[in-house]
Amino acid sequence: MTGWIQALGGFLGRSAETTGYGLVLLARTILSLPHLFSRRRLRDCLDLCFTYCLGSFTVTAVVALFTGMILALNGGDSLASLGQENLIGRIVAISMIREMGPFMTALILTASLGSGIAAEIGTMRVSEEIDALRIMSISPIRFLVLPRLVALTLITPVMTIFAGFIGILGASIVAANNFGVTWIAFSNDALENLSTGDVYIGLIKSVVFGITIATVGATQGLLTKGGATGVGEAARRAVVITFLLVIIQGYYLSWVYLS
Amino acid sequence: MIILENLTKILGGKAILNGLDLQIETGETLVLLGRSGTGKSVTLRHIVGLMTPDGGRVEVLGKEISGHSEEELKYVRSKVGYLFQDGALLNWLTVEENVALPLKEFGKTPTSEINDRVQEVLKEVELDFHADKFPSEISGGMRKRAGLARALISRPEIVLHDEPTSGLDPISSSIINRLVNRLKSSGITQVLVTHDMHSAFEVADRIALLHEGKIRSLGTVEEIRNSADEAVQQFLDGKIKGPLTQGAIDGVCDSEENGNEAT
Ligand SMILES: Nc1ncnc2c1ncn2[C@@H]1O[C@H](COP(=O)(O)OP(=O)(O)OP(=O)(O)O)[C@@H](O)[C@H]1O
Ligand SMILES: [Mg+2]
Repeated sequence: MTGWIQALGGFLGRSAETTGYGLVLLARTILSLPHLFSRRRLRDCLDLCFTYCLGSFTVTAVVALFTGMILALNGGDSLASLGQENLIGRIVAISMIREMGPFMTALILTASLGSGIAAEIGTMRVSEEIDALRIMSISPIRFLVLPRLVALTLITPVMTIFAGFIGILGASIVAANNFGVTWIAFSNDALENLSTGDVYIGLIKSVVFGITIATVGATQGLLTKGGATGVGEAARRAVVITFLLVIIQGYYLSWVYLS
Repeated sequence: MIILENLTKILGGKAILNGLDLQIETGETLVLLGRSGTGKSVTLRHIVGLMTPDGGRVEVLGKEISGHSEEELKYVRSKVGYLFQDGALLNWLTVEENVALPLKEFGKTPTSEINDRVQEVLKEVELDFHADKFPSEISGGMRKRAGLARALISRPEIVLHDEPTSGLDPISSSIINRLVNRLKSSGITQVLVTHDMHSAFEVADRIALLHEGKIRSLGTVEEIRNSADEAVQQFLDGKIKGPLTQGAIDGVCDSEENGNEAT
């Protein structure tokens, strides 16, 4: 029993420490934003945006397409039993833009990019590359964290919008094929019921998620200890922690928006 | 000049450094010996402020550095080159870009000058034919030499080498030794951690033996060679039994004699 309590205490202590570290890291990265406007950092940042987009493009497209199709299939099925299948458009559009798009994109980017950032920085930590940077008086925050944070903050909304479009496209195909709702009727219903607020909240969420993915990845990377196993552990933790944070943040942002 | 005074460092609940005193004169090349895990790398890390001591003080080039912020350490670090045990090159940059990094990041040196300087140091470590390769495409020994080139690029006054010749073939080792001697004759202060006794005798002005968190023996090459200290003789001859292995972590020698007491 005491062993159990001790373990819990230890876990809570470590979590508080990591959270503190992550928040300080985020604050210091934001404070170092002016350093982004040098030729080298801007180039690093653009390079990363490009690689990140390229690396997550296909999987985002496929997942978004099928998510939209699944939403339309399920929504359509229930609505058809009430004879209201012409409402598919709004249901898919609102849930895709406001909830599923940002959430799903965040999960994909966490798994593909967040874990990658943790592993990359973690490897640099254990192979003393971070120490080497410090000795050269090159700040790891400016040199490594800043471009990654900015790139993810830019990329996540872009990928979210992209996922929204693809998802709605997938849904409209199912609506037309399975429920006989024409493309015109589908898009009219979607556009009439989608408010600018829905679009904004979706984008705000995606920006928050992007910042979270990068910050957690960088924090876990910088806190990596103990060789190659430590790197794997850092990547795993980055994914788990970001998943939890994304879903909790998503809920509260929706709650604030709706109330 | 580097002064380590009564340096104490506790890591993982164990006093790795335990009242270490060491003074390295300007222009001197000091070789630091010791068994694996005795804290040689930890000692080097204190000299550049990568670790802060739990007790005692560190003074480099007349400046107290223990407990200072990264910003305050900039001056000292700009005068120190550090060769890491495995080179610590950034793997997405080529050898050339890695070596140029310290100069490029601060953007004060014109590009043509940087390129000339990079070629010059790469030639010194005999890597000029591999300048455009990535760290993953060259051997461990070459990575180490590239790390040394990067440490030298900004003309440091102090160079700290962490095992510069481990894992190198005898010829590459000789290249490094020759380079260390050349740096020595140009008046650079050096601290060199090594397990390679041949190289230690070739480059050292003085040799120090680290044991149980303190400097156990210190002297010129001749003094160390003829030292009456059993520990020094044990280390030089690589004998399993002796003061360095008493109550040792691995207990290799004890277990033979006293059953399995040590395990
Ligand atoms: N950051 C750290 N956290 C905890 N323990 C550490 C840390 N760095 C070093 N140690 C411990 O300190 C001891 C000395 O390490 P150090 O790397 O200085 O050894 P060394 O003398 O350089 O050995 P080697 O010749 O194998 O490189 C080791 O037992 C190591 O486990
Ligand atoms: Mg070492």
